[in-house]
Amino acid sequence: MTDDTCAQVQVRRRFTASAERVFDAWLDPKTAGRWLFATPTGKMMRVEIDARVGGGFRFTDRREGEDIDHIGRYELIDRPRRLVFSFTVPKFSAQATRVTIDIAAQETGCELTLTHEGVLPDYTERTVGGWTMILLGLAASL
Amino acid sequence: MLAQPDLDHTLTALADPTRRAILRRLSRGEARVTELAAPFDMSLNAVSKHIRMLERARLVTRRRSGREHILTFDPAPLGAASAWIEEQRTMWTKQLDALDALLIAEDRGAGNPEMQGSSDD
Repeated sequence: MTDDTCAQVQVRRRFTASAERVFDAWLDPKTAGRWLFATPTGKMMRVEIDARVGGGFRFTDRREGEDIDHIGRYELIDRPRRLVFSFTVPKFSAQATRVTIDIAAQETGCELTLTHEGVLPDYTERTVGGWTMILLGLAASL
Repeated sequence: MLAQPDLDHTLTALADPTRRAILRRLSRGEARVTELAAPFDMSLNAVSKHIRMLERARLVTRRRSGREHILTFDPAPLGAASAWIEEQRTMWTKQLDALDALLIAEDRGAGNPEMQGSSDD
């Protein structure tokens, strides 16, 4: 593909726990395996986390007898503010996507903003802001 | 869970401001290629390339009328794109709910020493 793909999904959420605890929950294998990429009906079989920039991760969730791998590589680790990793589920798509976690400490707890971009690796520096709104606005205007 | 090939085409097509402008124009009614190209400060060839990407994504269809090519907007693929975005949003929301529940459960457990950040509840 010669053009930039940029689907972007953003989710924001407040936590009563501290920024540090929320941040660590992404990288500590014991904690992460209990919620990240876990499904209510699946069983988390294996969690491998090499928590350094350039290090990889692999979460294997068994769903209806089939092992689904979630793999990626850490691109930025700035505890407790920011975590960036590539992410792909080979079973569903060969396309690498990128997840950015921003955590802002607040008086009590913190606010987490997750941005999931379906970008191609060659174009990771380029983003197109707010296209979701444009898309939905366009659909609504018909 | 992640983008399907058709969806990749839709999302790629929408990722560019020129192509979004073309779609906005076409959402008001069909147009000839030359009409579409007029407002843009780029060659007809460059605009044609954008139009081809929109056609590949099936957001735009083309028919001939004599020597003219008439372009029409087809919004159908937008539904699939919106659904995909919502699916991703739901997936992450559920996971963050699970994380929140996990951390709250930890706090309620054996007196977590890191509780200073969790005064609510």
